[in-house]
Amino acid sequence: MNDLSLVISISKPISQLSIIDNDEDSDIEMDGDKINNNNDLNLNRRAIVTPGELITEDPIWMKGHGTYFLNNKTYSSVAGNISRVNRLLSVKPLRGKYQPETGDHVIGRITEVSNKRWKVDIGTKQDAILMLGSVNLPGGILRRKSESDELQMRNFLKEGDLLNCEIQTIFNNGIASLHTRSLKYGKLKNGIFMKIPSSLIIKSKNHSYDLPGSVSIILGINGYIWLYKSKQQEENSTTVVNQQASKLQGSLNNNKDYQIGTGSVSITRLEEESSWEIYSDINEEINNNIRNNISRYYNVIKALSFGEIGITEQRIILGYESSLSFENVGKLIERESMEQICQEVLNNERMRG
Amino acid sequence: MLLSPAEKSYLYESLISDPIIRPDSRSNHQYRPLEAKTSFLPGSNGSSRIRLSDGSECIISIKTKVVKLVEESNLIDLDIDIVGYRDDSNYISNLKFQLLNLLNENFEFEILKLTEQYSFKLFIDCIIINNLSYPLSLLSLSIYLALKTTRLPLLISETNDEEIAELPTFSDDWNDSKYLIELSKNGKFQPPIFITLGIIGNNLIFDPSQEEETVLENGLIISFYNNKVITPISNTNFALNSNNSNFKGLNKKIIIGALSLGNKYCPIILEALDNLIEEDINDNDGNMF
Repeated sequence: MNDLSLVISISKPISQLSIIDNDEDSDIEMDGDKINNNNDLNLNRRAIVTPGELITEDPIWMKGHGTYFLNNKTYSSVAGNISRVNRLLSVKPLRGKYQPETGDHVIGRITEVSNKRWKVDIGTKQDAILMLGSVNLPGGILRRKSESDELQMRNFLKEGDLLNCEIQTIFNNGIASLHTRSLKYGKLKNGIFMKIPSSLIIKSKNHSYDLPGSVSIILGINGYIWLYKSKQQEENSTTVVNQQASKLQGSLNNNKDYQIGTGSVSITRLEEESSWEIYSDINEEINNNIRNNISRYYNVIKALSFGEIGITEQRIILGYESSLSFENVGKLIERESMEQICQEVLNNERMRG
Repeated sequence: MLLSPAEKSYLYESLISDPIIRPDSRSNHQYRPLEAKTSFLPGSNGSSRIRLSDGSECIISIKTKVVKLVEESNLIDLDIDIVGYRDDSNYISNLKFQLLNLLNENFEFEILKLTEQYSFKLFIDCIIINNLSYPLSLLSLSIYLALKTTRLPLLISETNDEEIAELPTFSDDWNDSKYLIELSKNGKFQPPIFITLGIIGNNLIFDPSQEEETVLENGLIISFYNNKVITPISNTNFALNSNNSNFKGLNKKIIIGALSLGNKYCPIILEALDNLIEEDINDNDGNMF
């Protein structure tokens, strides 16, 4: 039997009902008693409501997203958790497309290069846009973007490229506008991409972390995740970058009269770090150890998302630690292993308080 | 699926390295876990459903019909429906041809035969609700499960109708029905299966995922029947709509390696499938989920 699962594991589907029955320590509290002696039905408990379910009969509440109002009663229009902010009542859907908000740190993939802008898939209903004016130019010089920049937009970012950006504004029609005007944003390399439901990402101040094992992660609020090799904290790293950059610039100069920052002495960090290197597609050397760690993190995050556990830095690290007890990393993709990891993460968290 | 150049080169270098590092840490001969269920469609003689961890899902229904042997050229018919593809598209007709061809060449047709004049004909309907990677192996394993759990009503009339022309009649009781394996002469009925192997450098990988497909150097389809790898063995580009820049010709040594991997691990896949069927028959809850 053990031999079999090294090649293929085939299981019967488990019904969702049986999971709820078995899981007595579920961290969602369903207080059966409160419902009966409360007129405000679902309001006072942190419950899950389904579409069409009555939330409250009290007309005092303002209707927010995910609710509708009929005959002085408020109903839920989605399946999700009720959230209350003062008098505003809304339902946060458990699943569904990512809803962009200004300031969110997200990961996107370029789907189209068009007039002075890129279209970016960030998991929203409509593709977001990234204006040419919202990116850093190679060399870090600050100026209006010219026609020659427009012509070489594909040299910066092309279809399929992944980037790390922030939502600048949301237009009236719901389309998000992005920017990468910071050194922490920009094109992604040295790693691997994965997607999980955006509802599992817990918003925090910071969304990029360095994890044990020389692996870093960017947890996009839209559920897009980038796992990559940590940047080395070496002293001479900037000079290396500069050398490569001038090479890149040199090759560019052969083709076009592109003059920015060639041979100039860099004054600010922005100039040093946002040379052509930031738009390079070439990965650094990544050793097998780091690659194995990246794969392990990949599986841990898949496991947490399978268990519908909100993803935080701490949980990823806890999951990583408990995954180390598995001799064969390939086993991590099986259901029992994923459940075990989730259980261990929750237990550990409870112990640490 | 479009990947960025940096992602592609990361994946390519991980897959080509020795030992291989797959993005989900699988070993080269490891399949993704499957969730499977059989015999849940009440109106079908046999049914099965397989779901992969990436959300790919396939449902098979097998129905039968009594036909006159002289009027039918094929005793198996197969249809595939994939959401988003026309029935007459290249993609569908290619999959259909491969599966039908494999079954027609390697099937114990004796078990379908009723009398000298009449026989059962199998109609295999496949629906793919969602597929991300090349679906041939998924389809083939699902068909295997469905065929193994297909039941035929019990014939109560004479098997010899050469002298007296007589229509076959069957027992009304579905509990009397027989599994195909019970009708088989040698007592072991094992339909052929296809497995897909990705080739990258000197590495061969079982069941490539969608991301892996986009960087493969070639894809190999091998078929397995009667405890050994058989023909057809073919190669194809698994990735859809991608200008796969890594795609290369095949090395002979790799093909030989693929055959030995197939001979080594396909029996294990079949054993796992058989275990599930046994469990399912004992359970007999008729639930789809």
